[in-house]
Amino acid sequence: MPAKREVCNGSEVQAAITRVADAIISEFLSDNPREFAMIGIHRQGVPMAERIIAKLESRTGYRPQLALLDISMYRDDIGMRKSLPIIHATTIPFDMNDTAVILVDDVLSSGRTIRAALDAVTDYGRPELIRLAVLIDRGNREFPIRADYVGMKVDVSDDRKLAVEFNENNGQDGVYEIDWKKYRRGDH
Amino acid sequence: MDNFKWTRKDLLSLYDLEAEEIEHILDTAEEFKKVSQRNVKKVPALRGKTVVNFFVEPSTRTRMSFELAEQRLSADIININANSSSLKKGETLLDTARNIEALQADLIVMRHSAPGAQSLIAKNIRCGVLNAGDGAHSHPTQALLDLFTIREKKGSLKGLKVSIIGDILHSRVARSDVWGLIKLGAEVTFAGPATLVPKEFENIGVRVCHNLKDALVDADVVNLLRIQHERQKRGFFPSTNEYAKFFGLNEASRKYLKPDALVMHPGPINRDVELDSAIADGPQSVILEQVTNGLAVRMAVLFLVSGCVEK
Repeated sequence: MPAKREVCNGSEVQAAITRVADAIISEFLSDNPREFAMIGIHRQGVPMAERIIAKLESRTGYRPQLALLDISMYRDDIGMRKSLPIIHATTIPFDMNDTAVILVDDVLSSGRTIRAALDAVTDYGRPELIRLAVLIDRGNREFPIRADYVGMKVDVSDDRKLAVEFNENNGQDGVYEIDWKKYRRGDH
Repeated sequence: MDNFKWTRKDLLSLYDLEAEEIEHILDTAEEFKKVSQRNVKKVPALRGKTVVNFFVEPSTRTRMSFELAEQRLSADIININANSSSLKKGETLLDTARNIEALQADLIVMRHSAPGAQSLIAKNIRCGVLNAGDGAHSHPTQALLDLFTIREKKGSLKGLKVSIIGDILHSRVARSDVWGLIKLGAEVTFAGPATLVPKEFENIGVRVCHNLKDALVDADVVNLLRIQHERQKRGFFPSTNEYAKFFGLNEASRKYLKPDALVMHPGPINRDVELDSAIADGPQSVILEQVTNGLAVRMAVLFLVSGCVEK
């Protein structure tokens, strides 16, 4: 296998985002519409959340607020990794208390990132409810966590890394399976 | 910035750091500053880690700031001070440190009157070591909080003119600030009586002057150092009154200050000696913000070094 193999192309990524947006519309914006906010987890959860918001707005006219969340301070592996994560800015432009929020990340795997994100979010207040939206569920769960809105499921073996790329961040929309032994650019 | 990796288990002096590392600490501190502005002022980043505050020389504000930073990071904390430590019984410094290490501590925050004491410890034990002041040599977290405060107010350090005024000779603050300021592109002036401001600092690119007006007129930042009364007894200057008249920032001398210049002081202030109350409490003063930022900077440094301590 090559070091980097395309799993999904750009239009499949688009379709997955549309599926997530549709599922959110049917829960929040259909029969009894109600307000909610979105929380993008750095880094790839942020462009993903922005894409969903754009889609929601074009379909329904409703534009939820977006918070950016960095979970580095809440990780359970600080000091166990080769390098520390870079801390990105957390900005929450709304009151977390009594707000319905949708956490957004690109890939759901072990569930540890989401565990950390839940701790972080609840340190900012007591949301009315928390949902989870991911572009990809790749299985390999280590924590009892599941997503409410899933763009697609991808089967890859445990030792492979899935990398999502968005136009906004690193070039071209797509999902890639990466063999880290062959593809070393440092820790991602 | 995303490719940057912090690799140090110790913070000993800003002299050792690259500009990129200093910027990384300041960037990280910006996020830790926000933690203290929330309702829940605590994150689990250092949960399960043990931090020993080992203060062989007395300290109130630095120790309080470090201790609060550790608490906000959820670390477990032990405080050892000089009077109660076995150093009094003749144990060597290194033996004390090895005992701390043997208790599986992760980090030691240390103040000592002997320059280089922390470096000695850092080289010989597994724990990360943070220098909280070693004699007149270095006080890196004070310098970092000064840099953070200036950067926050002015946007960047590049090209800024920063005057540090007072007892440079005995000041670890000046010796730490200067490296950080130079590395981040500021122009540094040291000013004060000739007995307290050695000309030798010109060798590292600092402008040395013995006239307050020259230090104030074009300064973007003025950092006033505390004049210690005990220095007067040793004849470095004739009297604190005379010092205040020639080198104090007061009603008479403030006219030289640019309207947007920042007034800083590492504390504790000798009011109306190096700095008049009206200015210390006035709109140009960022002295209490320095205290707030010190907490954020210490949280950032504790977080970064803790990630590099071997198990």
